[in-house]
Amino acid sequence: MTLFDVVFSGNDAVYGLTEGAINDAIAKYGEDKAIAFPDTAYSLPCYYGVTGTKVATLGELKNALGVVKTLMTREKRLNDAFMSGIATALCAEFIEVLKYMDGAVPYEAPCYGHLGDAVIRELGVPLVTGDIPGVAVILGSAPTAQEGVDLVKSYQAQGILVTLVGGIIDQCEELGYKTGANVRVIPLGKDVTSVIHVVSVAVRAALIFGNIKPGDAAGLMKYTMERVPAFVNAFAPLNDVIVACGAGAIALGFPVITNEETFRVPKSLIVQKDVSKFNATSLEARDIKIKITHIDIPVAFASAFEGEIIRRGDMQVEFDGSRVDCCELVHAKDASEIEDHKIELIGPDVDEMPVGSKQSIAYVVEVAGKNMQADFEPVFERKFHSYLNCIEGIMHTGQRDMIRIRISKDAYAAGFRAKHIGEVLYAKVKSEFAAVVDKCQVKIYTDPAECTRIRHEVAMPMFDKRDERLMTLTDEGVDVYYSCIMCQAFSPSHVCVVTPERLGLCGAVSWLDAKATHQLDPEGPCQVITKEKVIDERIGEYEDVNDAVRKFSQGALEDVSLYSIIEKPMTSCGCFECICGIEPLSNGVCIANREYAGMTPIGMTFPELASMTGGGVQTPGFMGHGKHFIASKKFMKAEGGVARIVWMPKDLKEQVADRLNATAKELYGIDNFVDMIGDETIAEDPETLLAFLEEKGHPALTMEPMM
Amino acid sequence: MPFTAKSGKFNASINTVEIGTGDKAIKIGGENVLPLYSFDAPIENAPKVGIEITDFGMENEPDCIKKYYEGCDTLADIAKKAASFEGVDFLCFRMEGGDPNGANKTVEELIGALKEIAAVVDLPLAVAGCKNAEKDAQLLSKAAEALDGKNAMFLSAKEENYKTVGAAAGLAYKQIVGAESSVDINLAKQLNVLMTQLGVNPKSVVMNVGTATAGYGFEYVVSTMDRIKAAALSQNDTNLQMPIVTPVASETWSVKESVSSEADVPEWGCQETRGIDMEVETAIADIASGSNAVILKHPTSIATISNLMKELV
Amino acid sequence: MALKGLDIFKLSPKKNCKECGCPTCMAFSMKVAQGSMDISACPHFAPEALAKLSAATEPPMKTIKVGAGDAEMTLGGETVLFRHEKTFVSKTRYASSLCNCMDDAAIEARLADIPKVDYERIGERMFVEMVYVNYTPEGNGDYVELVKKAAATGRVLILGCKDVEVAKAALEVCKDGKPVLNGADASNYEAMNAVATAAGVVLGVSGANLSEIHDTVEKLEGLGNKNLVIDVTGENVKDTFANAVQLRKAALKDGDRTCGYPSIVNTAKIARGDSHKQAALLSLFTMKYGSIVVAENITYAEALPLYGLRQNLFTDPQKPMKVEPGIYPLNGADENSICLTTVDFALTYFLVSGELERSGVPVNLIINDAGGLSVLTSWAAGKFSASTIAKFFEEHQIEEKVKSRKLIIPGKVAVLKGEIEAKLPNWEVIIAPNEAVQLVKFMKDFE
Repeated sequence: MTLFDVVFSGNDAVYGLTEGAINDAIAKYGEDKAIAFPDTAYSLPCYYGVTGTKVATLGELKNALGVVKTLMTREKRLNDAFMSGIATALCAEFIEVLKYMDGAVPYEAPCYGHLGDAVIRELGVPLVTGDIPGVAVILGSAPTAQEGVDLVKSYQAQGILVTLVGGIIDQCEELGYKTGANVRVIPLGKDVTSVIHVVSVAVRAALIFGNIKPGDAAGLMKYTMERVPAFVNAFAPLNDVIVACGAGAIALGFPVITNEETFRVPKSLIVQKDVSKFNATSLEARDIKIKITHIDIPVAFASAFEGEIIRRGDMQVEFDGSRVDCCELVHAKDASEIEDHKIELIGPDVDEMPVGSKQSIAYVVEVAGKNMQADFEPVFERKFHSYLNCIEGIMHTGQRDMIRIRISKDAYAAGFRAKHIGEVLYAKVKSEFAAVVDKCQVKIYTDPAECTRIRHEVAMPMFDKRDERLMTLTDEGVDVYYSCIMCQAFSPSHVCVVTPERLGLCGAVSWLDAKATHQLDPEGPCQVITKEKVIDERIGEYEDVNDAVRKFSQGALEDVSLYSIIEKPMTSCGCFECICGIEPLSNGVCIANREYAGMTPIGMTFPELASMTGGGVQTPGFMGHGKHFIASKKFMKAEGGVARIVWMPKDLKEQVADRLNATAKELYGIDNFVDMIGDETIAEDPETLLAFLEEKGHPALTMEPMM
Repeated sequence: MPFTAKSGKFNASINTVEIGTGDKAIKIGGENVLPLYSFDAPIENAPKVGIEITDFGMENEPDCIKKYYEGCDTLADIAKKAASFEGVDFLCFRMEGGDPNGANKTVEELIGALKEIAAVVDLPLAVAGCKNAEKDAQLLSKAAEALDGKNAMFLSAKEENYKTVGAAAGLAYKQIVGAESSVDINLAKQLNVLMTQLGVNPKSVVMNVGTATAGYGFEYVVSTMDRIKAAALSQNDTNLQMPIVTPVASETWSVKESVSSEADVPEWGCQETRGIDMEVETAIADIASGSNAVILKHPTSIATISNLMKELV
Repeated sequence: MALKGLDIFKLSPKKNCKECGCPTCMAFSMKVAQGSMDISACPHFAPEALAKLSAATEPPMKTIKVGAGDAEMTLGGETVLFRHEKTFVSKTRYASSLCNCMDDAAIEARLADIPKVDYERIGERMFVEMVYVNYTPEGNGDYVELVKKAAATGRVLILGCKDVEVAKAALEVCKDGKPVLNGADASNYEAMNAVATAAGVVLGVSGANLSEIHDTVEKLEGLGNKNLVIDVTGENVKDTFANAVQLRKAALKDGDRTCGYPSIVNTAKIARGDSHKQAALLSLFTMKYGSIVVAENITYAEALPLYGLRQNLFTDPQKPMKVEPGIYPLNGADENSICLTTVDFALTYFLVSGELERSGVPVNLIINDAGGLSVLTSWAAGKFSASTIAKFFEEHQIEEKVKSRKLIIPGKVAVLKGEIEAKLPNWEVIIAPNEAVQLVKFMKDFE
């Protein structure tokens, strides 16, 4: 027997029953006898949803059954099995509606049977908002009543709506477990056909909340698949009818998880022998994420504690990366390697550490997700500082392997232990990065040898790899750039185009940051910009970049170049770290950083330059940029690159010296280029500057005239 | 040489949104020109004026408002009276008492009050929350149910609760949903996109893009609205073509210029006159920036703005 | 299309002679492009370069000066239609009205009202800067006497007078104050032009519609007078609004320089007797393109919202409004009352002080010098940090002035708590909520 045979046979059996029941009813009441479910405007909701036809009498029901028959094709193809599944479900609906004939009340407490439209509207809102993260349909009897109730309880604790069909209802009653719509555990009925009442909920949700037109079967199935996070837990033993119903569920996008050894269909029909793992398997199969609203730690967690300083005398213990091996790390892994919310401590806990001592710590947050990328690791990691500081009585400084953490005596007395660091990191990473993180576990090492191993063998190589990636990340090496319009609140027409070699001019948004921001908040300030249609390679102008800039500036900007300061330069918002502007006498540019208060050889101070350059207006000859951009190979590439830099404040020069020297060496073969650049101790006017540049033989003097 | 004006008519237009049902239903939006520029092309729907009452009735109102409601004992009386003033196009019920940091009235109590009002008023209805996002989610979704079939306007869904308010008001009961953001064109747009993705029909969405009293950071309101209308009309940005509804009274009647008594600041003169002028001047500035409807409180303010709209459009 | 600084620089003498006052020609060129300096400040520009530039740098809307001495003010000179594009440069000016049709009692009452509105708001003096003195042949009063009385207020006058002889007589008594003579139209422009130019005052032009006005302005320009303002007041509100907007749009967007003059809107004409309607129109025409807006009588009721609105609209969108740093005792606070500190961004100040006032709890609001930026922005820019707060406390001798040692800081910068406590060791730092609206409850609970 194949799975097809089982589905077809189950379908045939139910069809036979239905046909018999309708014929009997017609024989008894006549074809004109009215039939209806109570409290719904959607007739027989499933049949109406799929076909667009309302059924009001027994005669019409018989015709409807004829329509159902046409779905029951018998080729051994997937679609036939699905359609037979749907046909089985529709038959179940017909059988159920017959129970309601003449205003009968076929279900009695605790069973609900058919659910009215008002209930759908009530449940629909939290379903749409995700406050009900999923709908579990539990069918049959668990191996033991306790296992059944435990499963129900586990879903209930996660806010998942639970519907019960068959033996599980008795099992709940047996153990006195409370059910009812108010606690979101709804026993439907004991016959397998009563499962249709939850399908009916899904179908009406699609009609009411999804604006699906009755009869648009494809739209209906797409909606249930994408928007109704339901799944089925069917306990062994399964019979043909249940399998046929299961095929219907799968057609609607609801995976079936069972503990019976049966056929397996990847992602749809899943065998999980261990009932205690039904919950995890189901959530993973249906891609349901549970919102974390509570962090389980014995002290408070709030931004009000972010600035708390813990002095030596107040501290219980200190982890100090400057003395012993410490590190913090985010590591993307495969989903199968991670058990969600597992917090593991490897080494002694705080109890075993002498008061006031310096200890090692290394914590590795391992995450997995379909949309997770290794590029996001440092983005999460940078947030750890803020997360840990928000804990009352914990102070965190530094990053990577140069961290220091202090736990206060008060926090320790309140019960704060090493694992709570893991709880906080888990909760924050899961909730703030829910868009990309499906599963997360935390390993906390306090064993000194393990810390040394993690730091040197795991973390350092990863940090090196990341740095290398950053170094080798070039504009040419990526397919897309990102826009950033975070500053539009005060600089309405400004758009930053963030590329790997040109970070946002505020200095705070790198290409990787922008990419992560986009993934985490797809409608947010960072949008993808393609760069397929080159207009001018030299100045870095692209048709698609121009289109994007025009769109994001609401038409205020027509075109920008990425690499020129003279031709269509990028605009500046006002938050730039630095401004560079042309100094005509020396045929180069001067750069002033925000912290520099003095005069520049251009004849303007930083605030004066800022007032000319800011506000999202193109100002040829001037542009704002981040400090990091100064050593970029793309810095003013169109005008000859960094060799044009003739002046910078001394402080800034020192900050960028190493990287700038390296770039100059690579581009022009010049050693110690920074020494040729003037600063305020050398000149604040163009004439003195020029004399200095001549003396040094600065390359800008012999370059093409800028204007 | 005579003057020749270039037409400022756009190919795109603001969505038309109907609020209420039957004869008294109103339409806002629909224009394809900048606010009030009826010389560029006819503006079909003049900006509308709503009157605001709250669940506190006259309890917290200044005397200069109370005197207009003399003899009104119940919320229903107050609502009937409010609806009867000259120039009132719609009635807005603000469930101010729901605020958990304030009176913290229950959802049942407030919905009960809403039903009382809905039973006696045939003008289009707007329902405003208590500014607490979590409570508003409950209040507005219950209100959407209570006003089923009235095509009422719900003010407002914010980023924190748009799913609940949008799903209840926009999807479950097919009412008009207000999307509220805080004086930033990109936030306004983002919320509209999210609302659309939720499945709410964009033609059933209105925006509250932020509001302020004249003199209190009003430049942000102006620039946000200016930019939204420019993007909607000249860039045909469909995510910003929703009409704008701006609550004014709840802002202007809390600043010191409106609430200080004449005894406290004698040189400022009559409090009522100050309150009206603050409301009127703020409201017209909102309309000139792009509000398609404003919500006011003082009967004289309402008559003044309403008449001015008839003259201008 | 405005010229870019670099284009101007290319034509500049490139001598860095500093005679213009700028250290370099580049700096000068940038300032000319920005509109903050006039090209004529450079003595070395080649004539052909000047010719090329002056046409391009001529502003689309003229800047007109009225008033004399301290009362001198600037009208027009706008370059954009919306404030987010750049900055509005010349704020709207307001006038109360007098008329020779009013009886003496009414005139005296109005003259007494005019100086009443006079107060300061965020460093700006708010008062009725102008008086519109209307002449009507039907009026019984002596116009020249009325003008004298009006001039005695010290406000800049606008003479609304179409009778050439009367205008001439009136100017005799007030021309030194550089009033506006709002009297030219299609029928009398030649004679009025002669009167205005002889007196050296700005001439106001009106007409039945924009076409007629346009025509008259062209003729006046032909007579060599470009010292004009345009009275856009029409028959009704709708026409007036259309005139005001279309005129400004034609000047700034379509480059019609004949339209590039400041405007006068007289709401007393189109909303006579209805003070609330006039209030609304004062606001409307502040928003949309009135350079001078006239009402019958501007009292505090009209003024308080209006001047606030104007202050908001005419700020530089990139330079937020600042309030004066210092200690602001609220709700009768004294030296023992607790302290709360925040930044000098005007919006923050208004929100925070408003909520604190609502709480009724006595508190010393300490406004730091944070460059006029909001809390998070100034924090990010390093202008609102533990060290700037400590420095400010020292410079303003807060510890001497206040005895309380409890300091509430904004919730958004909770991160500063430890550092502030380190720098101001005598103080207990308390974290406020993130949003101003939560302050009332917080302060009450705190008390």
